[in-house]
Amino acid sequence: MRIGTFFYTIGQGFKNLFRNKGYTLASIATISACLFLFGMFFSVLTNFRHIVLRAEQGVSVTAFFHEEQGVTEEQILQLKVAIEEREEVASVEYITADEAWETFSEDYLGEYKDGFLENPLEGDDHLVIYLADVSQQSELVSYLENLDIVREVNRSETVADMLSGANRLIFYASIIIIAVLLVVSLFLISNTIASGITSHQDEITIMKYIGATDFYVRAPYVFEGLIIGVLGSVIPLALTHYVYERAIEIISGKFSMLSGLLDFLPVESVFYYLIPVSIGMGVGLGFIGSMLSVRKHLNV
Amino acid sequence: MARRKVYTPESDDVVISLRDVSKQYTKQAAAVTGANLEVREGEFVFVTGETGSGKSTLVKIIMHELKASSGEVNVLGYDLSRIGHGKIPRFRRNLGIVFQDFRLLKDRNVYENVAFAQRIIMVPSAQMKRNVLNMLDMVGMSDKYKRKVTQLSGGEQQRVALARALVNKPLILLADEPTGNLDADTAWEIMQLIDKVNRDYGTTVLVVTHDRSIVERMHKRVIEMKQGEIISDTPAKEEDIDEEEEIFEYQDVDADDLDNYDYDD
Ligand SMILES: Nc1ncnc2c1ncn2[C@@H]1O[C@H](COP(=O)(O)OP(=O)(O)OP(=O)(O)O)[C@@H](O)[C@H]1O
Ligand SMILES: [Mg+2]
Repeated sequence: MRIGTFFYTIGQGFKNLFRNKGYTLASIATISACLFLFGMFFSVLTNFRHIVLRAEQGVSVTAFFHEEQGVTEEQILQLKVAIEEREEVASVEYITADEAWETFSEDYLGEYKDGFLENPLEGDDHLVIYLADVSQQSELVSYLENLDIVREVNRSETVADMLSGANRLIFYASIIIIAVLLVVSLFLISNTIASGITSHQDEITIMKYIGATDFYVRAPYVFEGLIIGVLGSVIPLALTHYVYERAIEIISGKFSMLSGLLDFLPVESVFYYLIPVSIGMGVGLGFIGSMLSVRKHLNV
Repeated sequence: MARRKVYTPESDDVVISLRDVSKQYTKQAAAVTGANLEVREGEFVFVTGETGSGKSTLVKIIMHELKASSGEVNVLGYDLSRIGHGKIPRFRRNLGIVFQDFRLLKDRNVYENVAFAQRIIMVPSAQMKRNVLNMLDMVGMSDKYKRKVTQLSGGEQQRVALARALVNKPLILLADEPTGNLDADTAWEIMQLIDKVNRDYGTTVLVVTHDRSIVERMHKRVIEMKQGEIISDTPAKEEDIDEEEEIFEYQDVDADDLDNYDYDD
């Protein structure tokens, strides 16, 4: 492509943008709305995932043993090794009854712990199993319950199920809404480009008579679509950035007592992925939208 | 940069050839039936006939805006019944096309309307400027190159349209009623300009017209159509000495200047 053609394409593309101001603005607004919602979903989702992951790391299964029937520490440690090899298990901790009593009495009894002569938790040596994948908790539990040496298994099944269920629901809901918005913005972009093509139909006809290649005729319209896509992704990115920072500020100000639980990701780590994804989606939408309409309206 | 390979007809080569060409828009009536036509390089041909006789359809077939329903169409070595979509731009670059309604771009000035054609074939800007101004000079519009085309008379608009059609140095000029919207004097001027192009550049010319008086005055080859058929083909008459002299007055453009294009794909 000659440099003159390059500038011609860009010039015509910009001219078209300004000639159909209404349509252009509508397209940019829709694609912005779409990508703004995407940005919000993305931010909420990544934060939610982050929080869930942290919560999941805390989800544990505790197994107690028939020590009164003579299960030895050795047997328990052997089982610990076996459990550690299972896929859904992140880590396993062996806690002796003495250790358990030590922690408990220190946390809750303070100086009163001296009133106990014997360890009331005697025979409660146990394994605390942290899960890598919460959804497989019930499998682990039934595995443990079927072992002869196991006396009791404590689980936190309801929490785990709720967490992964809510996670999935938010995920699918946002995918559907974003998909709908994508289709709407695609439709609007291709209509914007189509209106530009219609208002230039005479010019296009003459270009074809003179011997313009398809590429030459199409380029300004495709370029127009790309500009709409870029503007439609930069605007919502700026907006999302602002909202995100403000939201964190407000939430951590109002709910400072929850600050330990609500551990938000810093804006940079969210935008590290959000910026390329949003711009990619904007440019992709602009390109596909304009190609759709160019293919439909420019075949002379 | 390598020069694009273009078809260069030998003298007296047949540049337009129609064999038993028919075109049907609908099943009932044919717009063109069994047309046979040969036009040689450098010829000037009028196409006349009553309204609805198929003249415009014939031109559209030659420029490949329409595909013939049957028959063989060969223009400048391109077999138009088999030409691929990607080759159409290359084919069209050999044609200059002029219409009754001028079809200028109303949002641009005279210069831009002509430069438009050069941009499409990607002529470098310095060369483009020279070519456009030369061509505007040739059609007598160089002093108004900055005018908006909406501020021109019909005759002036057709001159600009002619400059646009010719600036890329086409081998064939096709004109469908180029003087249909003009008064008799202006029509004659435009027709003389087309004649000059035919003589000076050797451009093959095919002009559709209703204007009996012009056809009679110019002594060119005349093809007459009626109800879709070519009913007569009258060869050109020998020219008077007077007309020959009149034409030489126009010779102010160096045709070689326009021959140095680089074509880019
Ligand atoms: N797009 C079309 N669809 C259907 N019929 C058409 C179409 N274009 C032309 N026709 C018909 O084909 C016939 C030839 O039309 P054409 O335009 O070639 O005539 P013409 O000789 O150029 O007439 P005029 O001198 O009025 O311009 C006419 O009967 C016309 O009604
Ligand atoms: Mg006609």
